[in-house]
Parts: sequence; structure tokens; C-alpha cells
Amino acid sequence: MIKNLQELWQYRALLWNLTQRELKARYRGSALGFLWTFVNPLLLMAVYALVFGVIQKSNIPHYTYFVFVGLLPWIWFSTSVGTGASTISDRRDLLTKVRFPAQVLPATVVATNLINFLLSLPLMVALGAMVGIWPNVHTLAFPLVLFAQLVFTLAVTFIVSALNVRFRDLQHIVQNVLTLWFFVTPVLYIPNAVPEFARRLYLIVNPMAVIINSYQGIFYEQRWPHWRALALVTLGSLVLMAIAARVFEERREEFAELV
Amino acid sequence: MSDAIVLRQVSKTFRKSTIKREYTTVKSEVVRWLRRQKRPEAPSSSIHALRDVSLAVPEGKTYGLVGRNGSGKSTLLKLVTGIYSPTSGTVEVHGRISALLELGAGFHPDFSGRENILVNGIILGMSRKEIRSRVEEIIEFSELGDFIDEPVRTYSSGMYARLAFAVATHVDPEILIIDEILSVGDEHFARKSAAKMEEFRRAGKTTLLVTHDLGTLQRRCDLAAWLDGGEIRASGDPVEVVNAYRTAVAEAEVAAVEQPAQAPRPRAAVQPRSGPPAEAGRRWGSFQSELGPVVLRGPSGPQHVFAPDDLFKLDVGFEHFDGPREAALELTLRTEGGTTVWVSTAELSPAEARGTVQLELPRLGLGDGNYLVDLMLTTDKGQILRDVQRGLHGFAVRAETQTGLIAPVHRWALVSPPGSPPPQGPDPAREPAEPEHPAVSVREGDRDPAL
Repeated sequence: MIKNLQELWQYRALLWNLTQRELKARYRGSALGFLWTFVNPLLLMAVYALVFGVIQKSNIPHYTYFVFVGLLPWIWFSTSVGTGASTISDRRDLLTKVRFPAQVLPATVVATNLINFLLSLPLMVALGAMVGIWPNVHTLAFPLVLFAQLVFTLAVTFIVSALNVRFRDLQHIVQNVLTLWFFVTPVLYIPNAVPEFARRLYLIVNPMAVIINSYQGIFYEQRWPHWRALALVTLGSLVLMAIAARVFEERREEFAELV
Repeated sequence: MSDAIVLRQVSKTFRKSTIKREYTTVKSEVVRWLRRQKRPEAPSSSIHALRDVSLAVPEGKTYGLVGRNGSGKSTLLKLVTGIYSPTSGTVEVHGRISALLELGAGFHPDFSGRENILVNGIILGMSRKEIRSRVEEIIEFSELGDFIDEPVRTYSSGMYARLAFAVATHVDPEILIIDEILSVGDEHFARKSAAKMEEFRRAGKTTLLVTHDLGTLQRRCDLAAWLDGGEIRASGDPVEVVNAYRTAVAEAEVAAVEQPAQAPRPRAAVQPRSGPPAEAGRRWGSFQSELGPVVLRGPSGPQHVFAPDDLFKLDVGFEHFDGPREAALELTLRTEGGTTVWVSTAELSPAEARGTVQLELPRLGLGDGNYLVDLMLTTDKGQILRDVQRGLHGFAVRAETQTGLIAPVHRWALVSPPGSPPPQGPDPAREPAEPEHPAVSVREGDRDPAL
């Protein structure tokens, strides 16, 4: 893992430039340009406000804000894994022509979506302020949660992107798994809605549940995250990252031949 | 002097499924697991791109690779670059390497030339600082002018290649790996590229390059190797390697041309056919007479590959099955493309039943290319076609500097204008790339024109 991340660090200039380019390219040529980074979540927010504020009223207070707090980090995770799956298999042009650490490619996807996530945070805070929830001292825990999610997202994206080079249908499977994963993660509902016996199990097998719940704790309920669960998830993510780096190293030799 | 690149008994095998692009899928793996099948890995399903290749590139030398398509040249470069890893054997590289296997790796069509310089440069191994300090130089070299701030997708292919080459050559590596990109752009740019390469060479950098341009190879390389079917057929002095390669290629071409002659020949006694066939047939006639054997000779015996200055002899045997008679042999020399070069007729008299007629050209005088010899044996003043052989015999002419149909006796000389002092060597401003080769070549004239 150390070697893998070291190479990533060596090529940080490439990572940074590709990320920048990705961000710019996404909205290049469109009328609003970079503003889309803000317009997109804003429109999403409007849709949720309409559906859950007007059509189907939820009994969770400030429901739109609640959904938003969980949805933004989820989008970071699911978009990274979803588009990350084909990030290596799609770059035949690069892999067979130049030598560079392939992990830059999935890392670029994760970094791009991380920046989009961070850029949409002010909107979330503004929405919170509108319903009277201002960020307070609990926000201090935010970097820790962010770190846990970064490691977890990176690890999953690494594994999926590496395996997809050989197993091309993985990217389609991943899309469907992500849909299921979304609904077993408490984004649209509060964990209390889950039966007591399942709740524990679910927090153990679904690290995203713990992570999303921690965000909701910080920004919505205004409490500290469940430290033990968060620590466990962080540790688990680091272990997963080590495994991911290993899987990646083992497969790397075949990338240039198989893409 | 130490070696910059060392390959020791390197082999590289690809599984055929990789080549045919049959992807393994989760589904296929599950199905196989359910059927409890083993992974099909018969030795026949693999392709040996390289076998036991050993080669060393000394530091500061330019090393050229030649070979037909699919001979393993590109695989070798990718192994040296580290894109592939060898199936067996070792690859050692000493020094910072920069590989130009494809121009414009990572170019994004929607971004301007300037923006693409940055990412492409980083991919090629430059730091941001290095790129920033060289960006103006790169733009100037590319000669794109104002286009540099336009999106790359609006570029012509020539502009694209120029920009890419400009970035690639401004990376400052110790070892440069190049796959056939010297022939980029128009003549002016090609010369600039060549000059840049020469600059690399003078700076004492090691270069490993693949090219199909044998002239480039002979002029620019210190050492060369010829790859064939994944193995090294010859290596060492570029001139010798290129000659060995040329001879083999020409012989293979001639063999291909002569292939039809190996079909069973009709004998007069068996079944005489008459009249020209529907398609451009190989051989027809009444076969009351037969031509053969046909032997091409050079200065030192039978040969199929000639130089323009070579002595050329053609022996044609003939036999009339119906007794001695007067006949005529018409010879047509044409190019592979069908252009007639020369037609000549020999009267075979006095009447003989069999014999051999010989044509001799003291100097062949043809330019580089493949040629065919058509023969037609007629009797009764050309009324009866007895044996016509079209496209059955051929030979090749290999001339480095003389292309076109003919290679007349000629001499080049440098003539000073009256009154001016004799030239003090080549003008450095005009030909900075090749001081050792003046603009006017006198090499061909060195040969005895009387031959």
C-alpha cells in the first residue's frame, strides 16, 4: 500500500492536472460553465423539496435538509465507484503508450468527485441556515469522517477499476449493486426506522451507513458521531485499502495487455 | 562505456484470447466454475511475440530496430519502457527514460494546445516547473502560432502531430525510445525533427528507435538489429544489418512473384491448350514448343536481386517438339504495376530443335523496384504462339538513392561558380543536421560509370 500511495504522490502533478481537467471538461462548452457545479445540486435539492416537502410529506423535521446532508456524500461515493469502474479499461490510449502508475486514473475520479462534493457543501450549509440549523462545534469531526470516506471510496474504486479490466461486465453489475446499496444506506430514512436487530449487523457490514450517519449526526442532529463505529470503519477502510493496493499491484501487469 | 539498456534472453508471450479481444466476463467465469472446467491454457493458444532476445544498447549510442510488421519491434519497445513485463528473461534500464510510442498521449480534444502541453508533458515525465520553463520553446517549435490557444480538436492532423512532437522532444530524458515518428508532418518539419534527433545524439543521449525508413537507420544509427518473427536475425553494424534485411525482403518478394510457376506445368504431350485465357493468365500457347529453364544471372551467378549497376544476364532454354524450325522470342520487361519498360525480340535462327538463348545487359540500369519478365515464343512470323509465359519470372532492383524506373549512368559533382573561392565545407546555416552529408551527394558517381 505504501508503495502504491508513494507512486501516487510522485505523480501528484499528473493527478492534480487530470482532476482539474476533468472538472473543467465536464462543463466545457456549456453556457453556465463551472456554475453547473452549483446548479446541479441546487436542482437536485429542488426536486427533493418538491417530492418530500409537498407531494409526500415526511414526518422527519426539515426533511429536505436531512436528505441533502446524506445525499451529497453518497453521490461522491457512488459516482466515484460507478465511473471509476471503467476508468482503466477505457484508457487504452494511455496505458499502452506511456508508462505511468495506473492508480492515478481511479484516484483522479475519486478526487474529482471529492472536489465536487466540497464545492456543494456551502449550498448545504445555506439550506441548513434557512431552516435554522447552523454549523456548530460538532463540525470539528467533519475532517475525520471525510478521511474515513476518502479511504473507503478510494479502496473500493481501486478494486473495481482493476477487476473491470479483466471482467468487463463488472461495470454493469456495479451500477446495480450501487442502486441496492443506496437503499440499504440510511440516506432517505433515519436508522431508527430499521428494526433493532438488523441495525447492528447493518452498521457492521455497511461502512457507508456509518459514514452517512456520521454526517447526519454532525450537520443535522448536531451531535458527535458514534466514535466507536467511526473508528472501526476507519480502521476497516485502511485494511481494505491495503488489500486494494495489493489487488491492484497484482493486476497491474496485465492492464496494458488486456485493455 | 556501460550499457544503458540490457535485455537478457527476454521472451514475451501473449495469450491468444488477449489478442482476439475475447474478454473474460464474470458470467463466463461463473459458467466455467459451474461446469468445473479448467482455464483453457493450451500452449497453442499463446503467441510468442519475442523469443530469447538478448541485446545491449551502449550508453550514448543510437540503436535502430528494423523488421516487418508483427516482428516484435513494438513489443520490445514496450518491454523496455516498462509498459509490458517480460514473460521470461530480464530487462535492465539505467537512466531516466522517455518513450515516444505514440504522439499526443492523453491529448484532450476540447482543450487548447497550451493546456494539452501541460498534461502531455507530465505524462511524458516532466515536472510542472520544467514544462513552464519550456512551454514557449515548445510552442515556437510546433510553429502553431495563434492556434495554440484553440482547442486541439480543431487542428489538422499535421498540426496535431507537430504539437505532440514538439512536447515529446522537449522532455529531457537520458534514454529516448522512439517508435516511427520521425516522418511527422511536411518536409520542413521532418527536417527540423531530424535536427532535434541529431541534437539528442550529440548530447550523448541513448536512443532506441524503430523505423521502416532504412535510409534513416543507416544514417542515424550506430548499431542496429533486425527482428524477424520475434527473434533477432542480425545485429551490429547498421549497413550490414540493413543489407541483410533488404536481401531477405527482396528474396521473399521474388519468391512470392514466382509462386505460380511452381504449379504443375502443362506438357505438350499431355494436353495442348490454345488461345489466350480469359483472365491475365500465367501461361498459354499451343505448346508445340516449350520455353525453359529460365535463369537470371548477375555478376557472380544466378540471382534475383540486383543493383542498378549490375551485369544482367537472362538464359532462356527452348525446345520444339516438332523438329528444328525458325522461331522468335519476344521479351517484355515490365514493372510489377504493369508499366512496360522495354520490349525486345530475338530471332532464333538458324533453325534448331532445342537450345538456349542468352540476353546480356552490361549494366541493368533500372531504378529501385520489382520487375517482371514476360516471354513469348512464336513461329511462322509470329502467327503461332507456342509458349507464352506472363508474370512467371521476376527480379528486384534495390537502389538506395535511385528510385523511379530508370537508373542511367550518371555523375554528380559540386561545381563552384567562376571566380568564387572553393567551398569551405557545407554551409552550417543550411544543413545543420547533417554536416557529414553535403547537400549534393556524389556517392552514386563514385562507381565506375563504364560498367
